[in-house]
Amino acid sequence: MFIEDSHKEYDVIIIGGGITGAATARDCALRGLKTLLVERGDLCDGASGRNHGLLHSGARYAVTDPEGARECISENMILRRIASSCIDPTGGLFITLPEDSLDYQEKFIKACRDCGIEAEAITPEEALRLEPAVNPKLIGAVKVPDASVDPFRLVDANILDAVRHGADIIKFREVTGLVKENGDVKGVQLGDTTIRSRQVIIAAGIWSAHIAEMGGAHIDMMPSKGSLLIFGHRLTRMVINRCRKPGNADILVPGDVVSVLGTTSDKVPFEDCEDMKATSDEVNVLLNEGIHLVPELSTTRIIRAYAGVRPLVVADSSASGRNVSRGIVLLDHEKRDGIKGLITITGGKLTTCRLMAEMATDLVCEKLGLKIPCTTARRKLPGSEKRKSGKDPVNKRAAVGRHGSEADMMDFNGKGGGEIICECEQVTRAEIEYAVRNLGVRSISDLRRHTRVGMGTCQGSFCIRRVAKVLAEVLGTPDKALELMNDYLQERWKGMSPVLWGDTLREADYMHKVHRK
Amino acid sequence: MKYDAIVIGGGLAGCTAAGILADAGRKVAVFSEGLSLHDASEGPASHKEQARPPYAALSALAAKGVTVFRGDSIIRAEMSEDGSQVTRVFSRNLGDEPLEAAAYVLATGKFFSRGIISNMEGMYEPVFDADVEFETDHSKWFDPDFFATQPYEKFGVKTDSEGHVLKGGISVANLFAAGQVLAGEPMSDSDIEKSGRTAATEVLKKL
Repeated sequence: MFIEDSHKEYDVIIIGGGITGAATARDCALRGLKTLLVERGDLCDGASGRNHGLLHSGARYAVTDPEGARECISENMILRRIASSCIDPTGGLFITLPEDSLDYQEKFIKACRDCGIEAEAITPEEALRLEPAVNPKLIGAVKVPDASVDPFRLVDANILDAVRHGADIIKFREVTGLVKENGDVKGVQLGDTTIRSRQVIIAAGIWSAHIAEMGGAHIDMMPSKGSLLIFGHRLTRMVINRCRKPGNADILVPGDVVSVLGTTSDKVPFEDCEDMKATSDEVNVLLNEGIHLVPELSTTRIIRAYAGVRPLVVADSSASGRNVSRGIVLLDHEKRDGIKGLITITGGKLTTCRLMAEMATDLVCEKLGLKIPCTTARRKLPGSEKRKSGKDPVNKRAAVGRHGSEADMMDFNGKGGGEIICECEQVTRAEIEYAVRNLGVRSISDLRRHTRVGMGTCQGSFCIRRVAKVLAEVLGTPDKALELMNDYLQERWKGMSPVLWGDTLREADYMHKVHRK
Repeated sequence: MKYDAIVIGGGLAGCTAAGILADAGRKVAVFSEGLSLHDASEGPASHKEQARPPYAALSALAAKGVTVFRGDSIIRAEMSEDGSQVTRVFSRNLGDEPLEAAAYVLATGKFFSRGIISNMEGMYEPVFDADVEFETDHSKWFDPDFFATQPYEKFGVKTDSEGHVLKGGISVANLFAAGQVLAGEPMSDSDIEKSGRTAATEVLKKL
């Protein structure tokens, strides 16, 4: 359950509430370990909530990293089974443009097939029939099993499963130190609170290096910033990739009612990781490249820009970070540094989160002398279970789309439960109540991550006061509504300001006049 | 169709100017697109109410004999050869039917009401292509603090010291601007009204 503090002793404490930590907490809990996950902010606050939402088929890595590609396709197929409510099986298209080479396309198809990834070449005419918005100058196209995945839902589903199997979750508390006895790690320090455990797993993305340092271990990590743009429409049905060596802004992912274009890849100092935002220059780079994929991007409204940081573990000294290993890094600090009780799991991709969790949990079990098999590849995640057939009321359908079978736990018949609070995303009071009760939501930004409140085209301009009032009521602090709203407006501004022109500037004009006091 | 003055925009600035001109016995037309934010700051009660132009004010103008074109807007203008005069204008609904006036008041507001249009490259004023003051460096359009006065709010149409709108650096003798379409500090409602009165005074001098 979600708790504020704990005096229990755990088998394992996981640091980090992103997808890696969430999946690891689930695996540990399913294997019967007494598990605690600690997150300094909200779930998905870091890179897990700031990416493309792309379920890789592995095709992108087939030429340069066949091992990573094999991991992707295998995990892709598993997640489709166990996390169907989080995945939109769009398929993917790799297009070759006149300035690219068809020889590369041939090499690409062969590499995909060698990795077990279905790759079917189709004619440019066929590609344009499937996807009329792609660059009509294309000279080749290949279909692959890429898909769109909602990272927020995937994290939530893993956390819900962990909690339902006994795991504890502490959010909004930062690990300030590791408990060390005779050089061994025995728990974590959250300010004045000491929580003891037999093992500690660091799953904190780019912040892993900093936490490992607290335990006396050094991990050579390189923060690589990736900026992305969200467009206000779904321009394509499939994920569109450029069939060439990976570069800037060469993937467009349709997700929910929007399209996400990304990314850039730039080395940044560790200090920058605390406040990631896309810059105007990055927006220019993304747009200038993106229009080669889908020319219509130049006239489509951008609703916001955002940035995340990849937790790359340094394997060579490349400048930009694109050649550094994105493979899974599992560090047994007992073997590596002589520090018992400490494990780090990092690197990897959203797509391979389950595998990373399995590897980390296997190692924990080994350390604890346990032989319990991993079941995460077979068990469906909450939300992806089969639902009773029948027609849902119209105000419940969006919630079913987002939460799958979990929507049946929402109280649509309670007082005002079915009332629509956010029109763009059709979020009801019942869904807000569910998110507060089950996912430890405290702010509107948290609520956004767990329900998509304010993520639609109006970005909260029209609904924000209602949302603030309802959330404040549900939290039991009705006088805090204005504070909740102002925090949210500032957070949204970060994403709107780099793309402040056209209709987005009109919307800002409106937001400032109506909501700024 | 000929008028003494054509006021483009039926928000607070436009209605104020038109009212003064009508009271002075002038033949006035007002074009009101229907997008105004001037009273949006009044409170959160109802967005629908807030975003609506002051229909009561438009009705009052009509009662004074002002011709009110609701849901229509001037979309282009013709200039004298030397660029110092607006000769005639055209509206979206009236198509090729030209409208003429001795003086014109641009009171189209800023971004929300599309008085100023922005894109990735910059900003422009869509009816007369009047000169717009703005930062060319996009990163200087906003303040990182949402609650601060934003630089973009100060961008707007340039005028000379007598309130004539500038186009290509030339003062247009019969074109005046009022309200938030103007470059300068963001205006309160009373500032907007005052700006409407000033423009009307300039127009009356001209007439």
